[in-house]
Amino acid sequence: MGFTMRAFVVVNSLLFALFLFPSSVFAQSFSIDSAIVKKVGNGYKLDASLSYTLTPRVIEALENGVPITFYQTFELTEPMAVIGSYLDWRSTLWQTKLRFELRYHALTEQYVLLNLETQHRQSFTSLYSALTALGKVNDFILPPEYLVEAGDEVQLSLKTGLDLHALPTPMRPGAIISTKWQLDSEWVNAEWQ
Amino acid sequence: MRLIKRLSSGTAPYFYLAVLLLILAYLLSAATADSSRLNDLFLVIFATAGAALLLLFVILVRSIYKLFRDFNNNREGSRLTIRLVSLFVLLILGSTSIVYGFSMHFLHRGINSWFDVQIEQALNDSLELSRASFGIRMRTLLRQTRLMGGVLSELPDNELPKNIRELTQLSGAIELSVWTLDGLLVTSSSESPVIMVPTKPDESILRQLNQGEDYIGIDPGENDKLQLRAAVRIPDTQNTGYQRLLHVLFPISEHLSELGKTVQAAYTDYKELSYLRKPLVTIFTLALSLIVLLTVLMSIWFAIWISRRIVLPLQELSEGTQAVASGNYNMQLTASGQDEIGFLVRSFNQMTQRLTQARNASQRSHRLLEQQTNYLTTVLGSLSSGVITIDKNNYLKTANTTSNKILGINLQQRLETQLEKLLAQKTELTPFIQLLKQKFNSRSSWQEQLELRKKTGPQTLMCRGTPLPDGEGWVIVFDDITTLLQAQRNAAWGEVAKRLAHEIKNPLTPIQLSAERLQHKYLPLIDEENSSTLIKLTETIVQQVEAMKSMVNDFSDYARNPGLQLQQHDFGQLLREILTLYQSNPAHQFMLMNPEAELFVSVDQNRMRQVLHNLLKNAIEASEEHNKSVDIIISYQAVSQHQQQWLEVAVTDHGPGIPDDMLDTLFEPYVSNKAKGTGLGLAIVKKIIEEHNGIVWAENPSQQGASILFRIPMEEQAQ
Repeated sequence: MGFTMRAFVVVNSLLFALFLFPSSVFAQSFSIDSAIVKKVGNGYKLDASLSYTLTPRVIEALENGVPITFYQTFELTEPMAVIGSYLDWRSTLWQTKLRFELRYHALTEQYVLLNLETQHRQSFTSLYSALTALGKVNDFILPPEYLVEAGDEVQLSLKTGLDLHALPTPMRPGAIISTKWQLDSEWVNAEWQ
Repeated sequence: MRLIKRLSSGTAPYFYLAVLLLILAYLLSAATADSSRLNDLFLVIFATAGAALLLLFVILVRSIYKLFRDFNNNREGSRLTIRLVSLFVLLILGSTSIVYGFSMHFLHRGINSWFDVQIEQALNDSLELSRASFGIRMRTLLRQTRLMGGVLSELPDNELPKNIRELTQLSGAIELSVWTLDGLLVTSSSESPVIMVPTKPDESILRQLNQGEDYIGIDPGENDKLQLRAAVRIPDTQNTGYQRLLHVLFPISEHLSELGKTVQAAYTDYKELSYLRKPLVTIFTLALSLIVLLTVLMSIWFAIWISRRIVLPLQELSEGTQAVASGNYNMQLTASGQDEIGFLVRSFNQMTQRLTQARNASQRSHRLLEQQTNYLTTVLGSLSSGVITIDKNNYLKTANTTSNKILGINLQQRLETQLEKLLAQKTELTPFIQLLKQKFNSRSSWQEQLELRKKTGPQTLMCRGTPLPDGEGWVIVFDDITTLLQAQRNAAWGEVAKRLAHEIKNPLTPIQLSAERLQHKYLPLIDEENSSTLIKLTETIVQQVEAMKSMVNDFSDYARNPGLQLQQHDFGQLLREILTLYQSNPAHQFMLMNPEAELFVSVDQNRMRQVLHNLLKNAIEASEEHNKSVDIIISYQAVSQHQQQWLEVAVTDHGPGIPDDMLDTLFEPYVSNKAKGTGLGLAIVKKIIEEHNGIVWAENPSQQGASILFRIPMEEQAQ
């Protein structure tokens, strides 16, 4: 299944690159404003600020009861020499993916943000508050075992976006090929302090 | 392109592609199902199906192009194939369009039937009702919270925790907390000892309170359990300068919460479903259209394929028929199947087999006929008789080689020629052709002897005519009996001469001796007057007996038939030797015309000398008799006739010539126009020349005089 998913992502990216790339350059997307790793005691923690700007199409879906799933991927990598110093390849030491579900609660007229890993739930009276809360990563503790072993060249990269495969089936094909749903941020390397 | 070529030409690839398309159609329909694991692969499957569709389309276009190209080139079977394909395509398009139309209709109707205005209204109303039912309690609780805020504003900070705990218990709140307007916790209290950290009011609540408005709202708590959230500013009655807020979470009764959850879930689901209606219809329409398009293209492709398969044996049959029409009877088609077309193909094969057998039999008969014709031609060719056939319209149909020799004209080159035209080409044949035309009027066989006048002398033919069956013409068989008649005549003359010599020569010597004795005995006894008479009489007897002896010797020569002593001789030398004997008389002029080269010929020297003597003597006598000057030209040369080398010798005088009525019989014994002579000279010449396998004839040249010519064969013919 893992392989299938990877193949699917590759095919989607190809399709996207083939047909939609030119328009996606100017599309709205998520961004990572800051990401700072701080040393606290023997460990490291991450503080990051992510900004989420939703397109009207996504907001429309959200307000019509469609839950929107966000992901935040954190990855620790270190360089690996493939052919001397000519070609570098970064091998992944550790990776984790946090997924959040945002849905509109019609009765209470609130936005409910659910951490799908911890099942922690937060309610917000406005979408802005919900997105702001989502964009704040505070005191995210990095696994010390990798950081202790690895040298100075270890990098922490972040990426966030929408998990389109979590959308209801009928919407999925349309969303996958639509620029209005392609909001993934670039990979951003965190700053070490 | 190679793949497309292979796919559109073979048989097995059709089925592979058909199976692939069926699998794709299945996957496509499965991927649209909500709970399928293939959901994520929808786009991949869709793209693959699109690619297959494109490939199929290209193959189809190529197949159709080939069909129309064959049609334009008037290839056998292309018309029928196009007709069948058109019929199939019409059927496929018609039926598929109906099914597609109805499917689309039911699809839209089915999806639209999920939604109802009344249900939507009811859900909206129930949501509103829920909100309204919570509204009363919310207002009460807001007032209660404000009161609590008022109470707390009166208290100093160090008493706040204690009072909050009391207020929590009194108000029945779940959680009660005091915050600064910057979002910092001052103090909190919770009915549950588990909760250590209170719920923080979110940014928008803080902003609202900052703007001086209190907040009250329903809050979806843990496990979707509803609770009420109220936040009010705590009045700064003691002028501390802090702006604080009271944040309270009130519970909602289990029953109300459950009802609210149900309403919320139903409303959200309905709204989501309603929102998803359009993409749902789109995706179903797309999948259906793709499957229909695949099916249609596949069916058309299959229609072309099956049409070609149906037409192929007919096409082969058509080509086979054309081949048979153009004479190729060996055509065998591959029989396929047990249906009517297979039966037709097998019947065709049987027909061509029988035709081949019939043709072979005909060829055998033809060959046999040719063999028989050749055999007949060989037999006819080897016959010594001339055989010709003439059709009822007097056209020459066949002639053997002997007929050419006898008639002196190549008839085989003049087949299919009318008799009149033959006559025009060779006037010597006049009596022959006249006889034929005359006899053709009768219907029965006939036999007739005929004489042709030819340059080399008269020719006697024995002709026999037999009518062909059904009055188709005549077969004429004729023999040259000239030689036979001549031989008969020669034999008769030889016998006469022999008897004459024998019967006359014997008494001549006693007569001569008796006359001489009579003169010798009685001359002394009689007087002088009578003695002269006696001498005159006895001398006359002796002279006449001598003359008779000479004549009898000639006859003896003619009758004599000794074997030839053939030897190679220089013929010019021979002639010159003989002419030397005639040089004594100065009045006699001889001119010998020599050829460029000396000619050697195989002859009996003595017999040939006799021939030349006879001819010269004959010429001299002919000239002298008519008081003409003896001026004789002798020529000899080699000539070629009938692929044979001949020595031709001509002796020409300047006498009166030969009368026409004598030309035919000149060489017969006792034929002479001279006053003296036995008339055997030329007969002996002819006999000797014929003994040398030669021919002799006489001509009157255009100038005055006569020519006697003879030919004897040279080289191996003379052996």
